[in-house]
Amino acid sequence: MTSQDASPDDGQSGGDKSVVMRLAVTLDAAVDRLERARPFAKSRYQGPVLDVLGRIIAQPGGLGVVRQRAARMDAAGLFAGSDWDRPEALLPQLVGGTLVSEDPAFQALEAASLARFLAVADGEARHDNLHEEGARHFLTQVLALNLKDLFGVSDEATRGLGARQDVKRRVLRHIADHIGLNDVLSVLVSEIWRLLEQRSVQVGVVKDMIAQIAVALNEKGTEPGSTRLGAERLVSALFGPTAASRDDPGLSVYLERISIADETGLSREAMGFARAMHDTGLVSDYHAAFLIWALDFDQRPLIPEALGLGTTGLDCWRHYRGLIEKLVRSAVTPATPQAAYGLAMLLERGILHHAPMVPALERQLSLRLGGAARDRIALGFGPAVPPETQLLSGVLRVLGQPLGVGQGANPTCQSARAIALWALNDPDYLLHLITQVAEFDTLQMQFEGVQINSADLPVGLAGSGPIDADPVSVLLVAHLDRIYAEMGRHCAGRPGDPHKWINPQFHGWWVSRDCAVAVDVTTGQLDAYDGFLRRFFATYHPDYNGGRPLGHPQPAGIAVTDAQQRFVGWHAIAILRVTEDQTGRMRVYFYNPNNDSGQDWGNGVVVSTSGHGERQGEGSLEFDAFLSRVYLFHDEPLRSSYGQDIPEDVIAAVRDRAIASWAADRQPQGMIDGA
Amino acid sequence: MTDKNPDKGYVALLGWSLNAIDAVDRFDRRYVVVAPPWAEDYCKQNDIPFVPWDFDRLNERSHELAHQLDDMGVDVAIPIFEETVEWAGAVNAVLLKNPRLLGQAMLFRDKSLMKRRAQLGGIRVGVFEEAHDKGDVIRFLKRVNQTLLKLDGDPNDPIHFKAFDKSGTAGHRVIRTPEDVDNIPDEEFPALLESHLDGWEFAVEAWIKNGKIEFLNISEYVTLGYSVFVPATPELEAHRERITEEIEKLIDVFDIEFGFIHPEYFLTNDNKLYFGEVAYRPPGFNALELIERAYGFNGYQGLVLAFDPKTTQDELDAFFPKEIVDAKGHAGCFGVYPRRRVVSRLEIPEETANHPYFEFHELADPREQKVAKRSAFGTHWGLAYFFGNNPHDLRDLLKKQEELDYYV
Repeated sequence: MTSQDASPDDGQSGGDKSVVMRLAVTLDAAVDRLERARPFAKSRYQGPVLDVLGRIIAQPGGLGVVRQRAARMDAAGLFAGSDWDRPEALLPQLVGGTLVSEDPAFQALEAASLARFLAVADGEARHDNLHEEGARHFLTQVLALNLKDLFGVSDEATRGLGARQDVKRRVLRHIADHIGLNDVLSVLVSEIWRLLEQRSVQVGVVKDMIAQIAVALNEKGTEPGSTRLGAERLVSALFGPTAASRDDPGLSVYLERISIADETGLSREAMGFARAMHDTGLVSDYHAAFLIWALDFDQRPLIPEALGLGTTGLDCWRHYRGLIEKLVRSAVTPATPQAAYGLAMLLERGILHHAPMVPALERQLSLRLGGAARDRIALGFGPAVPPETQLLSGVLRVLGQPLGVGQGANPTCQSARAIALWALNDPDYLLHLITQVAEFDTLQMQFEGVQINSADLPVGLAGSGPIDADPVSVLLVAHLDRIYAEMGRHCAGRPGDPHKWINPQFHGWWVSRDCAVAVDVTTGQLDAYDGFLRRFFATYHPDYNGGRPLGHPQPAGIAVTDAQQRFVGWHAIAILRVTEDQTGRMRVYFYNPNNDSGQDWGNGVVVSTSGHGERQGEGSLEFDAFLSRVYLFHDEPLRSSYGQDIPEDVIAAVRDRAIASWAADRQPQGMIDGA
Repeated sequence: MTDKNPDKGYVALLGWSLNAIDAVDRFDRRYVVVAPPWAEDYCKQNDIPFVPWDFDRLNERSHELAHQLDDMGVDVAIPIFEETVEWAGAVNAVLLKNPRLLGQAMLFRDKSLMKRRAQLGGIRVGVFEEAHDKGDVIRFLKRVNQTLLKLDGDPNDPIHFKAFDKSGTAGHRVIRTPEDVDNIPDEEFPALLESHLDGWEFAVEAWIKNGKIEFLNISEYVTLGYSVFVPATPELEAHRERITEEIEKLIDVFDIEFGFIHPEYFLTNDNKLYFGEVAYRPPGFNALELIERAYGFNGYQGLVLAFDPKTTQDELDAFFPKEIVDAKGHAGCFGVYPRRRVVSRLEIPEETANHPYFEFHELADPREQKVAKRSAFGTHWGLAYFFGNNPHDLRDLLKKQEELDYYV
């Protein structure tokens, strides 16, 4: 037999490229069949094409292959009989959802459709109902609407998607590579500012985005205007925040320049750095270099100016200058510039005046990481600086920005929340835990008098722990996670939700000892829900609790819903305060260990992160909207009656919102009149 | 209906198959689809020439259909499914003024008659018998195994139970024990019983014109009911000459002047060819598509050529490629059955998805999560297609699929 085989004769040999080439040949065979088919028979041959497409788009370089064939596949009838057949009528806001569709055929169809837009936008192909400008505009909107996925911030919803999310990201990247990010700049810039407002401990993703902007500005430039201004503010904060660094001259040139600067010039540098840092929460590499240089500048202290300290911070500086200089010297390096911002915020919180903190930080300075702990930090952050430096930098950032702690792409909201709350509430205790793990690779806690030792426990939810979080989390979460699971095992057999006992034991005395749960744990159905709501009002709403402010942050459980109000999962947050915003509306301000608090939970329940009286790192919702998503909270056990005086219509309004969303299929029979 | 050549034949397709219609619509001959009335709207919307007809049991109305088609100027009817074979025979008897065609079609429709006819014509067949009730089946099972000198308690050699008039593996049961017999529903009788032949099972697709084979394909079964590929391995193709002689015997015995046959054979360990059965219609398992993938010609269009009395020899010579040497590779498919009791989704096994021979699949998403227990050979949930250069690798790959979970 003559064998002009369609496939390369040795399937094992090639890397990715040969796989894509082989799949391209298979795709052509499938498209040939589709092309030949009469219009009424197209549907039969669409499936195989989509099947091959689904496999190609999962390969690096696969989208290029798809783009080259997009116009041909369109003409062959790939979209016949579907909405995608009329590209002029497609809605960009639906693309993101389809790209992560559970049905791989839809994912493939959307990718092929986008490839067609791309081919038209690039002028490679023509389409009767789609012109170059229209195609470009559509793709711009798609990118703008999915920026978060383009750069890889993850949340509960995306974490569950796994490979589907990877395909989506790959498709978005491919589009961005082709049409550039110029058009999406304004969207991107406001998105970055929104993220920065939250002052995350981890800024890698934001820095990536800003670098993208810098490249875009550099390559094409933009029209002058507010977008350009906002973009340049971001780029300069990272790459040239001061007079002497404006042209991004490189560190050695910069150090030369400041070594011959006069005192006014140095002062201007210091203030320039401080302004950019407090403006964005980002620390430029030049800033880090300046601080290290300033340590040995003996004519006058430049550190307080360069950290932009206010009255509290300056007061700390005067008391603890020696310690602070040691912290700068040990923690601020070219690999860990963000330590400077953490330190500034730590000083501004005044926690050095809390007696155990100074010795605890001295201990941290001399701490040597042992065995497994050392390996983990090295694995997570690389060899640029010693693990001790990474950890110290992480400690400063977590203590300076407690609400900036995020869980990374891990199902460990409980542990992340605990770290944040300790940093906020019990900073010396947090340092105590860090020391235990760093030196002994174990954590000891007690559960109702029973000793728990993390080193003796099997791994928990997070396996061996995250490496994509901040250094403190990388060190602690694996241990906390195990302890949390062990406490859960101790609660086995007890009626009700185990968090009732775990939360106080896990976090500390300041978590209220009683606990209300909206659902019956065994059935998952709502249980005495109206009473639950009344109790929450009576505990947290100043109008119904005698005007008492919340003292310590309280763990709470949220039923997270997506923008369509569909239930996504249970999630741990912490209630920080309940108060009126500038317009007099009662709001709950809370901490979400998620990396980005600004989420749309559907039906107008959109978590705000700024503009409604939020402090940095807080999310907020109006009281009713927030309560409609709560399923678990803590309160004091000694009060016996609560909230009887709350009008029924106030309760009903909240109940309706819950039932319209996560509780839709959780209504026990007769619940409406019950409770 | 633009580029149709009025000088060439006008064919009627009996039965609804979108694949067949699509292929014939692309061909150069006028055609009409004869199918149940539910297809009418669809045909109107898509400009498909259509005559509504209910194909129940063949009845006296066959004359009505034949004359309706005759009045339209139709030259010949082509059966697409087993159930329309006798209708095509009846219609063609009128259209071609050859009453013998009806009798011939009846032979193709009854597996028992077919076997006797083959036997009478000197074709080697296995032991077989008609069964009218369960007692017949038990008796046959016992007798076959006594013949094999089995003692009480020895595991039985299986026998095969087949509906007289169903195609493919529909209604086909493998019987080993009296319990298997108990599981046969009464409505499946009468049926044909056959002894089991150990050996190499394969099928042939042959396009015939003027009593002569125009193209003969050998489809090698990897596992009956699961997988098949074309062209066959060189080991099986080595028997092509004998197989061709066997097909010529069939043509002779069944008096086949034109059309398409799809017989099944066994090549036993002692190197003898046993005839299983023959169908006068396109094979299931999308074998025509495999042939198209391998050889590049469309089997349905080949059918039209083979049936149309106005086809010329030049056309035939130009249409059909040369067997084996003109194949671009080996094409195979695997019928997927869920292996677990409860399945929730379709997931192509990774080693399949990454195999260079894997092309694509047409598998249904599991609509119901409960998997029906398979007693008879059931219907698969769709096919996965493979294409490659090395027939042995392809065969092993298809075999391997039986151990993999496509539905989890």
